[in-house]
Amino acid sequence: MLEAVRSGVAGRTPEWASRLRPSLDADTRFAYKLLLPAFLMMAIIHFLPIGWGFYISFVELDAQFISKWWTAPVVGLENYAKIFDPSTIVGAEFWSSLKQTVIFTAGSVVGIYTLGLGTALLLNEDFRGNLIARTLVLIPWIAPAVPAVLTWQMMFRSDTGIINHLLRSAGLVEGTFFWLIGPRSIVAITVVWTWQNFPWATIMLYAGLQSIPEQLYEAAETDGAGRWEKFRYITLPQLKPVSVVIVLLLTVWSFINFTVPYILLGSNPSDSGQVLMLFIYNYAFSNWSFGLGAAMSTVLFLVAMVLAYAYYRRIIGGEFDGGAI
Amino acid sequence: MLGSAGTDEAAEGRVPSELRLTKAGRELLVTAVSRFALGLILVFALFPIWMMVMNSFKPRSAVMTENPSLVPRTFHPSNYVEMWSRFPLVEYFTNSLIIASATTVVSLLVASLAAYAFSRYDFPGKSKLELSILGTQMIPGVLILLPMYLLFINVQIHVGLPMKDTYHGLVFLYSTFTVPFAIWMLRGYFDTIPEALEEAARIDGCTRLGALFRVVMPLAAPGIAATGMFVFLMAFNEVLFASVLGSENVTPFAIGIQQFETQSQTYWGQMMAASTVATVPLLLLFVLFQKPIVAGLTTGSVKE
Repeated sequence: MLEAVRSGVAGRTPEWASRLRPSLDADTRFAYKLLLPAFLMMAIIHFLPIGWGFYISFVELDAQFISKWWTAPVVGLENYAKIFDPSTIVGAEFWSSLKQTVIFTAGSVVGIYTLGLGTALLLNEDFRGNLIARTLVLIPWIAPAVPAVLTWQMMFRSDTGIINHLLRSAGLVEGTFFWLIGPRSIVAITVVWTWQNFPWATIMLYAGLQSIPEQLYEAAETDGAGRWEKFRYITLPQLKPVSVVIVLLLTVWSFINFTVPYILLGSNPSDSGQVLMLFIYNYAFSNWSFGLGAAMSTVLFLVAMVLAYAYYRRIIGGEFDGGAI
Repeated sequence: MLGSAGTDEAAEGRVPSELRLTKAGRELLVTAVSRFALGLILVFALFPIWMMVMNSFKPRSAVMTENPSLVPRTFHPSNYVEMWSRFPLVEYFTNSLIIASATTVVSLLVASLAAYAFSRYDFPGKSKLELSILGTQMIPGVLILLPMYLLFINVQIHVGLPMKDTYHGLVFLYSTFTVPFAIWMLRGYFDTIPEALEEAARIDGCTRLGALFRVVMPLAAPGIAATGMFVFLMAFNEVLFASVLGSENVTPFAIGIQQFETQSQTYWGQMMAASTVATVPLLLLFVLFQKPIVAGLTTGSVKE
């Protein structure tokens, strides 16, 4: 019925006219009204702060200007020059944390996707207790994050943690072995982040596996394809669209993750575990250096946006149609 | 043991014939290996939750030992009593419940309207608006946090309305983060409800909004409940904004629980007891209502 109304309108008026006067259509007006509250909120909390943050990245804003932010001196690109110059203290730390963020993201995405795919494949078979296994596997993703990460912190303790105890019993490590300080702290945050998110990849890939038509496998079997051939030439290509979305979202999420490194490593992490989000947070709020913090946030945002754009291209490519974010 | 088919011969041409398995034998082996692998994954998934619950029943000496055990050697439930008196933990729980519940109500209401518009209507700028909804998921929190801090402080100073460390400040902030997510999820549910039902309601004299609240929302109730659970979790788990904008007066559980970690020592047993109290009821709820939640997550995620 709606379609008929709309096409009727479009038939009578030229397209440019209907674009100029969209309010003519009662349905359209209703739709905009429905969207208004959501977009009003987003304008205040998302769009305004992004513009504001962008402005702050060009001023020298410290503690004395907090209540009179508009009087802070404009310094142009100086903040950006500082964070990109590796010879300054903040620049050196910025590059180092950017590098750690990239390593963390790459490790996490590979880990989460591989584990998620493996789990989805194992669950994509009929056996007793399948539903129970599918429910249990989601638990890391459902469990409240802070208590879960604190538990990991307890397990990762060098002297009294269960992980080192098990590794020592297996003869894999000797003496004190630090996870939460020093070069292995990046391993610790990657493991915990992987643990928390592989269930999401599993459920997405499981849905993807379920939607592969059975006939494809039957046809391949008649052609004499084995287990590996079926996986390589049917499963993987069929999972490609959903995989692209998963990998892109995981990349962005890993890039901007805060909770896991913050809770696991605290406010003063070793360089190895100092990812960009954590560094910006600590730098901005311990030195009250909002200008530099905003400049670094803007860079982080631009990187995330480039990734998001790739995600968007994928969606309008028509291969993905919404669903869970 | 003879190879069962020509393809098997080709695939295993280099394997000595006495090591070759029949097709049925190989199937059995593959099944056994995959069940074992799945078992290992489940152990990995559940191990921290297990340790959380088990350590909540251990006395301090049994946690802080170089020889930690997988199950408590003595049953020590006093952590569950002592934890309440160390900090205002009841208050933290209450704060979190208030903030997360209010966030859930506000965002479900706002998001239902928007999701319905996206699901049923076609209007100029639709794809751009949808894109901006998705785009908000890519914004790093710190980028918002710095201006939000300034906004809250300045509203407080210049308008006189307290925002920092208030319930309404956090609820408003969190709702905005959860609304885009909720729109996306609810839209998937609304799409599955046949449009004919609303048309019938409209003919019977229902308004557009009436049709949404009286026909569509009741039908989408399981989906709304599942979305609500995720919104609640997001608000309950948030630490970045809470640590700066809500660390006093309205301290939520996610921030308050970190106080078990003091400069001199960490009260692990009590921290794990508090964690268990926050985690286990929620997991039980999830296990009970698993079906609509999981279905909702994957609705429309892959084009058929």
